[in-house]
Amino acid sequence: MKRNWLRGIIGGLSFSSALFIFQACYGMPQDFTEDLLVEGIVTAKSSGKPIKNIHVFTDPFGSETATDDQGAFSFYTLQFESVKLTFEDIDSTNNGSFASRDTVIVPREDPAFVDRVYLEIALEER
Amino acid sequence: MVSRLKRLAFRRFKKAETRLHVLNYLFWECTTRCNLNCLHCGSDCSKDPSHPDMPMDDFLRALDTIESPDKNFIVAITGGEPLLRKDLELCGREIRRRGMRWGMVSNGQLYDRERHHSLLNAGMGALTISLDGLKESHDWLRNTKGSFERVEQAIELAASSERLHFDVVTCINRRNFTELQAIYEYLDSKNVKAWRLFTIVPIGRSVENKELFLSDAEFKGMMEFIAEHRKNGGMDVKFSCEGYVGAYESQVRDTPFFCRAGINIGSILIDGSISACPNIDRSFVQGNIYNDNFHQVWQTAFLPFRDRAWTRRGTCAGCKDYKDCQGNGFHNWHGEKNQVLVCHKAKLEAAETSPVS
Repeated sequence: MKRNWLRGIIGGLSFSSALFIFQACYGMPQDFTEDLLVEGIVTAKSSGKPIKNIHVFTDPFGSETATDDQGAFSFYTLQFESVKLTFEDIDSTNNGSFASRDTVIVPREDPAFVDRVYLEIALEER
Repeated sequence: MVSRLKRLAFRRFKKAETRLHVLNYLFWECTTRCNLNCLHCGSDCSKDPSHPDMPMDDFLRALDTIESPDKNFIVAITGGEPLLRKDLELCGREIRRRGMRWGMVSNGQLYDRERHHSLLNAGMGALTISLDGLKESHDWLRNTKGSFERVEQAIELAASSERLHFDVVTCINRRNFTELQAIYEYLDSKNVKAWRLFTIVPIGRSVENKELFLSDAEFKGMMEFIAEHRKNGGMDVKFSCEGYVGAYESQVRDTPFFCRAGINIGSILIDGSISACPNIDRSFVQGNIYNDNFHQVWQTAFLPFRDRAWTRRGTCAGCKDYKDCQGNGFHNWHGEKNQVLVCHKAKLEAAETSPVS
């Protein structure tokens, strides 16, 4: 903390706003964006068993993934006021047949959701 | 008067940064395998494709030695071609699990839609892709037909992401120099927001290929091109931090030249060597993660990087701009290190007196 203070003061004296933003010659830009880890599990409502290969995607930002053998999913997405997650069965009757479901999360309203959200999603059988 | 004050203040800033030497940026040379055979390869890096990839756990052990990483700390995954590693996403997630950020430098050949999403899902926040010209000149430098189409797909995907800090880098040479405006328009049409221009360092397999190196006048032309586009707004075009460019300093970058190698930038190379940028002469290696505590080495070694008085030799010895340049980019010191390999300022001064060649 102290060293950042010191760097800020010295940087300010040299009249430039971008002194601490740099990229190495052969490197990529730095990353200061706030993002959020969204994780969870998708199960069948009737049996409680995990469902594989459920497509999970967000609106906005277009993040997308699919559940694994344990019904688990995990992805990073941009921080947001609210986001709609859609859970969709896209493999026909393979792994069962389930109705889609939307969930809206509002991370900043819950202090527990500072940088990680964990969801348990149960899907109805079709 | 104001510019002189700014210059003096920036020198003080560099001194303070050097004294604090906060590690902000750590390269990880995770593989030396590559799926291209570029004409300029070896000019920047020492590549031994026979070397096995570094196991993720070895890297993470070194990473875990870093006490209280800076909030801006980021791991820059490089190679070789990082996308050849199947466990890249796992590596990324492990880095994020430690509260750190990560990004990658790639040739884009394997960057398809599926990989784009899996890397973003693993918390990748920054990406640089190399494009070395329009179709013909890119395929020529990359020495692979069809590489342009593949990198085009990668650029489109990366540019479509709201999450990524993304830029394109281009090594400017005699073939693509005449395409600068066309490349600008091409990238603009792909919605690319940032473009960084490099030149090629005359070492490795590039030395004998004269087409790879800009003449002095062409180099000045490149500076003019960058300065003009920065004045006009639009895409963020800049010259890389590879060297000090004298009178163009305020016109071609966001901040004045400051080679942060070994000051804020470290690296863990394929064999465990601890150094600064991966393109720096391997004789400057400061330790090895298989024998040493990485963070201890960062804190206590790196003296040639943090006291550059030794670079005041050869043409640098009598240079009036030495305090602002301090021996140019560190990667310009190779072999016997008696003379800086490239002096960008000298090229610009020579361009004033020499005809276009």
